[in-house]
Amino acid sequence: MAKRPGSFSSVAQPVRSLWSRFAFATLIIAAFALMLLGKADVLLVDRTRVVVLDALAPVIEVAARPAEAVTDLMNNVRDLRYLRAENARLAVENDRLDRWQHVARRLEAENRALRALTNFVPPKEIDFVSARVIADGGGAFVRSVMITAGRKDGLALGNAAVSGEGLVGGIVEVGEAYSRVLLITDLNSQIPIVIERTRDPGVLAGDNTRSPRIVYLPQNAQVLPGDRIVTSGHGGVFPPGLAVGMVTTITDGSIRVTPFVDWERLEYVRILKTGSDGVVQPESAHLPPFSVMGPETAPRSGGTKQ
Amino acid sequence: MMRPTAAQRLDLWIRQSTPMALTAILAVLSVITIGIPGYASVVPGYTAMATFYWAVFRPDLQPASALFLIGVLQDILTGTPLGLTAVSLLLLHAFALSQRRALITKPFLLTWVGFMLIQLPVSILAWMMMSMLQFRLVGPEPALFQYLVTVLGFPVVAWLFVRLHRYVVR
Repeated sequence: MAKRPGSFSSVAQPVRSLWSRFAFATLIIAAFALMLLGKADVLLVDRTRVVVLDALAPVIEVAARPAEAVTDLMNNVRDLRYLRAENARLAVENDRLDRWQHVARRLEAENRALRALTNFVPPKEIDFVSARVIADGGGAFVRSVMITAGRKDGLALGNAAVSGEGLVGGIVEVGEAYSRVLLITDLNSQIPIVIERTRDPGVLAGDNTRSPRIVYLPQNAQVLPGDRIVTSGHGGVFPPGLAVGMVTTITDGSIRVTPFVDWERLEYVRILKTGSDGVVQPESAHLPPFSVMGPETAPRSGGTKQ
Repeated sequence: MMRPTAAQRLDLWIRQSTPMALTAILAVLSVITIGIPGYASVVPGYTAMATFYWAVFRPDLQPASALFLIGVLQDILTGTPLGLTAVSLLLLHAFALSQRRALITKPFLLTWVGFMLIQLPVSILAWMMMSMLQFRLVGPEPALFQYLVTVLGFPVVAWLFVRLHRYVVR
């Protein structure tokens, strides 16, 4: 008997089509269910995310290398063109910084003397780890980066990530060896800050644009363009005094801040290990402490505590 | 009828799974940083381009379940709410499939216009879903830019797909 494959497939076709429609609908529903589960902060979803992230991060790390090489090359070529001008600029800047260092040392000494006078309890030194940025969680809806440090390095949810310029963001997912940092420009980022000049407290709320807004300022706050914004430490998640950005535009009802961080050249970040309760964890005391001024020259004063 | 040898079957299997493997690789590539100012916020939707292309030219090699998994993978990588990209890709696939007959015989320029038209509601829907998940209106500008970059970048990436389609997938 001759095979007639056509007759079978003519029967099977509508069934298969029906099945594929059903499967398609199931998948769409599954995707929506995932969205709701994720919104409901189900622990399992968070854990799965972290596990998958941890497993895939090495792949990304390898894949990022050629891209990094290209970026480096482009930067090198660009830098070569401006070498002379850059050199002159740096010489001037170095001059200025020398003077600043002088002022800073004097102020630090004065500060220390005053603290000793007033029995001030100093904030504890903060440990940090440095990590490389391997991926930029792109897309239209999220501002986050993936970094090469995780639980094994002592990171915890809520730790602050800073670059040389200022605050980058906070840790939102911690894997074993990799973590995700939510940038301060992200929609879900809200950071307690103060205006450095006036000490007016507020909250820096990201909205996925490059310049986040300040909200919840006191009624009588007087903010000017050019005012520096630093973290306030309220809520205890981030340590106080981290540089965040500068007020650039003030229109009625909205004050926008340009962060100090150079997002295009964000290669390494420092994670300050403060724990999400704001308590400093002293587990890696062998690391040099994080301090703006570099290592202190004077011995730690033990007598300031009462 | 001759039964294909194991090597032939492996060869065929590799060829046929190329489209989905490529889309998965593109999902990973879309989180790689490049030092172009503002790149991260306007990174083109490579997976969307791939999904559209294969839905039009080889829908038999693009099972919805694989698309779902790739979407979830991309959500995890980029940190978007789980399922958002998955829904977007599945809808794009379905829309493209429904218009397939109109798109497949046309010159490339019209296929491109087809992608513009089909990706638009998908992007708007993704933006609306994100807004709903956040309980507020998300700024539409980044989504708009991403749509434009995705649509404008399509011919370049499609050129690569055409090569692969011709010489690898067959």
